[in-house]
Amino acid sequence: MEEIIKVENLHKGFGSLHVLKGINFFVRKGEIISVIGPSGSGKSTLLRCLNHLEVADMGSISFEGNYIAKADSAGRAVYKRNKEVLSTCSNIGMVFQNFNLFPHKSVLENIIEAPMIVKGKSKKEAEKAAEDLLAKVGLQDKRDAYPYQLSGGQKQRVAIARALAMEPEIMLFDEPTSALDPELIGEVLHVIKKLAEERMTMIIVTHEMNFAREISDRIIFMDDGQIVVDGVPDDIFVNPEHPRIKTFLNKVL
Amino acid sequence: MENLSNITLYILQGAVISLKIYLITIVFSIPLGMLFAMGKLSRFKPVKWLLEIYTWVFRGTPLLLQLLFVYFGLPYLGIELSREMAAYVTFVVNYAAYFTEIFRAGIQSIGRGQYEAAKALGLNYKLTMKRIIIPQAIKVILPPTGNEAVTLIKDTALASVIALSDILRNAKSMVSRTASIEGYIIAAILYLIMTFVIINIFKYIEKRFAYYR
Repeated sequence: MEEIIKVENLHKGFGSLHVLKGINFFVRKGEIISVIGPSGSGKSTLLRCLNHLEVADMGSISFEGNYIAKADSAGRAVYKRNKEVLSTCSNIGMVFQNFNLFPHKSVLENIIEAPMIVKGKSKKEAEKAAEDLLAKVGLQDKRDAYPYQLSGGQKQRVAIARALAMEPEIMLFDEPTSALDPELIGEVLHVIKKLAEERMTMIIVTHEMNFAREISDRIIFMDDGQIVVDGVPDDIFVNPEHPRIKTFLNKVL
Repeated sequence: MENLSNITLYILQGAVISLKIYLITIVFSIPLGMLFAMGKLSRFKPVKWLLEIYTWVFRGTPLLLQLLFVYFGLPYLGIELSREMAAYVTFVVNYAAYFTEIFRAGIQSIGRGQYEAAKALGLNYKLTMKRIIIPQAIKVILPPTGNEAVTLIKDTALASVIALSDILRNAKSMVSRTASIEGYIIAAILYLIMTFVIINIFKYIEKRFAYYR
């Protein structure tokens, strides 16, 4: 199957802190991958490197066979021109832990903004698509509400609709339920599950172990800036060979 | 004795120059402040440092001194400005320095998450600023800008030191001519009316931005 994203020898540090220590992995079209692991293991940083919210220090990142960043002879990540990186990354949808909806725009305006000004869609066209997406996330009646009038779960569902409105090739979820009250987590997971059923390619950084196990084709377990295991859910949850996975699962399950 | 309506009329003539200074300052210093704020936030270091010095000098010295410097001081360097022009230039440059700082702080108050969300959707820096950051920053900027707008109407009285016949100067000369207090009272009432109008304009604008939190 066709590789959408490929990452080779990715390194990223913040000052003296070495967060990612040589990451290699790929995502194929239609794959659903969950990234799990202890806090501070580099899961979010990895996700944020994929769509250029963080700039990698070393290594290569490619999207559908085209390099966004390519390692030079010394291994340093050399990025393409900003404009090209941005246009590539607009094919990558991102959902944030803290939603990051635009507070000055209504739900509908949040969703149609980028399709209109980045993709040049007409207002009518963008609104039609936005309404279909709102129906999909179960929020048709909120189209004219402002973000402050929504619950956390509703905000996150709008954020998912907003990302989908750009018709991305892949969706990245950065701990989408971590900022939510427990009773609101289900509604967001339900929407993600619906996307999984449609075979939307996704990478989900999550602490929801049962959810990850249920929907993922592959699970990546990270610890201390490295991928410890990249395998099917059973490799992690049924026969965890690696002691670090055992320790981690004992803590969270 | 001059009657009250003559006193009022004379002081009102002074309001013309006060209001001219006011409007010219607002019209030019706000866009300038916006531009300089963007400059201060840019990655281009020399621009940043120049603007840093600029805001420090103009916020760090009295407006009164700046007025005297421009009108009485600059001629020694061969730059002669008319009284009115000296006032316009000084007020615009001085107030732009305050607006620069207000706008810079307003833009910086918008969280990193907004930039990230915009970038993840494919918006470039310019579009992110225009469509996402600045519209939100305006809401933050409005109250301190309103404050400056009220202060400015009172600061126009400083123009009297370079012998511009503004409200205050005309009031003073009426007080000495009539040997009575009316001139000052009328001047105070005029300033109160003007500040009342400005305060309410800003209240109205702030209300229009209250549709979101």
